[in-house]
Amino acid sequence: MRKTLLASVAALAVVPALAACTENASSGGDDEGGDARALSVTSNADTCELSSTEAPAGTLSFDVTNSGSDVTEFYLLGSDGLRIVGEVENIGPNLTKKLTVNAPEGEYFTACKPGMVGEGIRAAFTVTHAEDAQEVSASDQELIDQAQDNYRAYVQDQSAQLLAKTRDFTELYKAGNADDQARALYPVAREHWERIETVAESFGDLDPKTDAREADVDVAAGEEWTGWHRIEKDLWPQDAKGYAALTPAERTSYADDLLANTEELDQRIQATGEDALEYSITDIANGSIGLLEEVANGKITGEEEAWSHTDLWDFQANVDGARVAYEGVQGLLETKDAALAEELTSTFAALQAVLDQYRDGDGFVLYTALTKDDTKKMTDAVNALSEPLSKLTAAVTS
Amino acid sequence: MLANFLIGLREGLEAALVVSILVAYLVKSGRRELLPRIWAGVALAVAVALVFGATLTFGPRGLTFEAQEAIGGTLSLVAVAFVTWMIFWMSAAARGLGTELRGQIDRAAEGGRWSLVVVAMLAVGREGLETALFLWAATQAGTRDTAGSVTPTWEPLLGALLGIVVAVALGYLIYRGAIRLNLTVFFTWTGAFLIVVAGGVLAYGIHDLQEAGILPGLHDLAFDVSEVIPPSSWYGTLLKGVFNFSPATTKLEALAWVLYVVPVGVLFLLRNRIVRPTPQPQEH
Ligand SMILES: [Cu+2]
Repeated sequence: MRKTLLASVAALAVVPALAACTENASSGGDDEGGDARALSVTSNADTCELSSTEAPAGTLSFDVTNSGSDVTEFYLLGSDGLRIVGEVENIGPNLTKKLTVNAPEGEYFTACKPGMVGEGIRAAFTVTHAEDAQEVSASDQELIDQAQDNYRAYVQDQSAQLLAKTRDFTELYKAGNADDQARALYPVAREHWERIETVAESFGDLDPKTDAREADVDVAAGEEWTGWHRIEKDLWPQDAKGYAALTPAERTSYADDLLANTEELDQRIQATGEDALEYSITDIANGSIGLLEEVANGKITGEEEAWSHTDLWDFQANVDGARVAYEGVQGLLETKDAALAEELTSTFAALQAVLDQYRDGDGFVLYTALTKDDTKKMTDAVNALSEPLSKLTAAVTS
Repeated sequence: MLANFLIGLREGLEAALVVSILVAYLVKSGRRELLPRIWAGVALAVAVALVFGATLTFGPRGLTFEAQEAIGGTLSLVAVAFVTWMIFWMSAAARGLGTELRGQIDRAAEGGRWSLVVVAMLAVGREGLETALFLWAATQAGTRDTAGSVTPTWEPLLGALLGIVVAVALGYLIYRGAIRLNLTVFFTWTGAFLIVVAGGVLAYGIHDLQEAGILPGLHDLAFDVSEVIPPSSWYGTLLKGVFNFSPATTKLEALAWVLYVVPVGVLFLLRNRIVRPTPQPQEH
């Protein structure tokens, strides 16, 4: 008798428990990792503040803290504002209670009920699609497809403009009597290269031929220095000691070589069908990160344009490319980590604001006009961006 | 402090009521030897609830909201069944007492002895899970150093524990009062009282199941007197703690309450009327 009764009571409690267990989302609690599914709620007499008004689908946990003086409750309600998806009751003052719910993608309402009466303080809440969940929903797949299409179009457009301006530039340079025009076009044409530099660099055979700096080339080992920077040195020889100008034949040879390589690059970028380049969301996000690294490694140091000192044009172009790549995945990021999206948008703007201080007409001041304080300001702005940007890939592919 | 105290008081009262009446009954009917079973049931329920609460709070897995509500709701329904059975069992035993049929008492006691454990367990355990979760939350609030926008403090835990202590004290007073009643009055009053309590537990269980989405009509209210009787006021707390009265009651809850309390009450009074004519000089 005893055993059966006790067993039946125990079974009553345990069986539904096992059947309806759910993972305690981030049982670690408030780790700094910023789990998008771990939200916090602060409730008092007149506010109901959530750390985010959206979260990716899955097991969500709401840490509900009562900062008021009356007992409160927290509800996650369905889109009709009626169906209770989850609730925590009896949250006394100074207490935090956790609500763990499995929430599929959709629209919801949150409500705090201080004093446990009435409709409560309500707000809309969105559960977004989660990549790591079962299958990709139509709307999110659309975001991904769109991001990839847009990025492809952007890269192709930049490549086409690069080719056109390179053609003009090499003409001017070969002519021998239009060096001023060539010098003016040089940083402008290169902008298009710098905007898609991470894509161009993926062609390991073309990149060294077109964009190598003198220091990168081991002439003693028989390597030949060609490309943009070879021509740059010839157009701005004043800093070079005992420099011998190139002959017209040499000019033609270097110019034709640069144009040929740029044509080859453009062909590969514009390729369709089987040879078409694929940009995954990861590629795009990593491209954004890579372009910012280019800024930090070459432009802030003034190493890239050692002779023309037009580093800030490159700087701006790298930032443009990074920003465009980021903006391509921004919609996706917003559904996964709205806080990171907000941070990135504002730090991109802050970096641009710093850069804008050095504008000069259509272009920028020369690198040689910058003081140590100037480059320090730029370094700080780049560093401020690189930290959140490093999280981008993980966030959009999570 | 007051709000946390009231929570402790309410949850404590819900459990203390039934237990104190059970104890009073055993003491009055001279079966003190069965008391340890009541305490065993209470202790078991407290232990299970605390372990459960701790596991759900700190363990890798928690209960879904639906599961919590389904367990709470189901336990409520089971508790109502047991309390109802207990009311009639006590009344049968009383009739046995009245007619001095010792064998009948023993048979009743024999059948009920382990059931007493279960009734005590259910009475405590039904609210135990909720209370344990609250207490664990309060302990965490007292121990964590960062996290949350409130300053960590032991105040909530203290408030809740004081509430439980007062609830136990009230339970003791009910026991003392009950023990002074003569057996017939005791049965009539505690029986009627328990029926209303059980009706409240039933309504509460229905509400849980409505919240879990198992039963419909969560927003179909029969009445809403939240303005007059705020649930977090002391009187709202007492009404909730004693009768499980909800100021915003759904039609289904109200219907269940009426469908339970009216027939069971009528049946109970009818049986007691049959009991009443029997002489009871033996009792004192
Ligand atoms: Cu309760």
